[in-house]
Amino acid sequence: MKVLKFGAVWCPGCLVMKPRWVEIEKEHPWLETKYYDYDQDSEKIKEYKIGDKLPVFIFLDKQAQELLRLVGEVSKKELTKIIKESKDK
Amino acid sequence: MFKKISFFLFCFFVLIIPLVGLAQEDNKVNIYFFWAEGCPHCAKEEIFLDKLESKYKEGINLQSFEVSRDSDNARLLVEFGKELHTDVSGVPFLVVGEEHFTGFLSEETTGAAIESYLVSLLEQTGQNNQNSGENTWLENVKIPLLGQVNLKTFSLPVLTVFLGILDGFNPCAMWVLLFLISMLLGMKDRCRMWILGGSFIITSALVYFLFMAAWLNLILFLGLIVWVRILIGLVALGGGALNLREFFKNKEAACKVTGDEKRRRIFDRIKEVVSRRSFILAFGGIILLAVAVNMVELICSAGLPAVYSQVLVLNDLSTLARYGYIAIYIFFFMLDDMLVFVIAMITLHMTGISTKYSRYSSLIGGIIMLIIGILLIFKHQWLMFG
Repeated sequence: MKVLKFGAVWCPGCLVMKPRWVEIEKEHPWLETKYYDYDQDSEKIKEYKIGDKLPVFIFLDKQAQELLRLVGEVSKKELTKIIKESKDK
Repeated sequence: MFKKISFFLFCFFVLIIPLVGLAQEDNKVNIYFFWAEGCPHCAKEEIFLDKLESKYKEGINLQSFEVSRDSDNARLLVEFGKELHTDVSGVPFLVVGEEHFTGFLSEETTGAAIESYLVSLLEQTGQNNQNSGENTWLENVKIPLLGQVNLKTFSLPVLTVFLGILDGFNPCAMWVLLFLISMLLGMKDRCRMWILGGSFIITSALVYFLFMAAWLNLILFLGLIVWVRILIGLVALGGGALNLREFFKNKEAACKVTGDEKRRRIFDRIKEVVSRRSFILAFGGIILLAVAVNMVELICSAGLPAVYSQVLVLNDLSTLARYGYIAIYIFFFMLDDMLVFVIAMITLHMTGISTKYSRYSSLIGGIIMLIIGILLIFKHQWLMFG
């Protein structure tokens, strides 16, 4: 499973999510994540059809198919739960 | 008919001041009382004036003018203001001979001053047939001690702080500041970082101050016209409804992205200004940028400043106090920006305020706006504090 994180330096919700993801990534070293900046990675923004709300987190399965998309601030507890459930997908 | 009487009274007053000044042909002292319906200070002063009239009925000629419903009376008040070279934006407004008294605190304070002046006038005109012993209470002026301050006198400052925080608490609106901080953090010169970021915040506060002062003066200029108050009440209701809509709609606590074109333009400008080698040019650029950005943002946030300005006008305050309240409002309005900036400058890491809190601020703000809106339309006297 892979998580794509979309955010921006000027988005408060994204700043709030940053340390949460740092902790999650530490606790789940196997988890592959990739961060894309709203201003700098416009191709990816278009490709994944990121709307006008940030932050966005896209969970991909092993075949790079989208499993789940979360918009806005998400608690660490909820993210951990999703990651554990989708670990083998 | 009443128009004619008012006009006649006004002309009479204007003519009489330079000629006789203190008394009319019948040697009575003219007292003109301007008041508004629903104004608690006016009601207090009316009771006091009734007592005064029965006490000095031989010597005074009291006339009352209601100014919130009668535009002729309101016009008359303005003319009096011009003649006396004074601000007549608030009621109660009392003219005794050549002297005027704005506001009415209590019988022991403002009342005492009015009666004392009246007695001196009556003595000059030989009309004071009162027992001087009855006036000894005039000297016992009661000054409210801190212990006597009641909830009502605290209401306006509390409302100011509350509305300031609610108006300013919008993490999503912080995007320009956050981008600026991200650019500043890339600089090595800490002093330059503080000055550039600080001047952005101070300029933003000044622009908002001017904007609110403009609202205040517009509402003061329009005076006590009922429909202006009702219109602002409707703005408050609309603003309240929008805030509640935001609370129910934006459940995922996400920030909406500002239009690509506009965002890029502002970011390019920030990058360009921050990277200027000359400190003076960068400093000037930041100030101009803050003015431009805030002017655009102001259009989006007209509701609460207008409503708050109307509340200030309803209260019997001096000009200095009004601007003081606006300054307090703006301090709390900018508080979240200041916190985010200071934390970023000290820790060299950017911090975001959770958008979840912003949802609750929309909820509380929406409810308060609805309440103020209803009060402005139906019970505006409840917004006259202290």
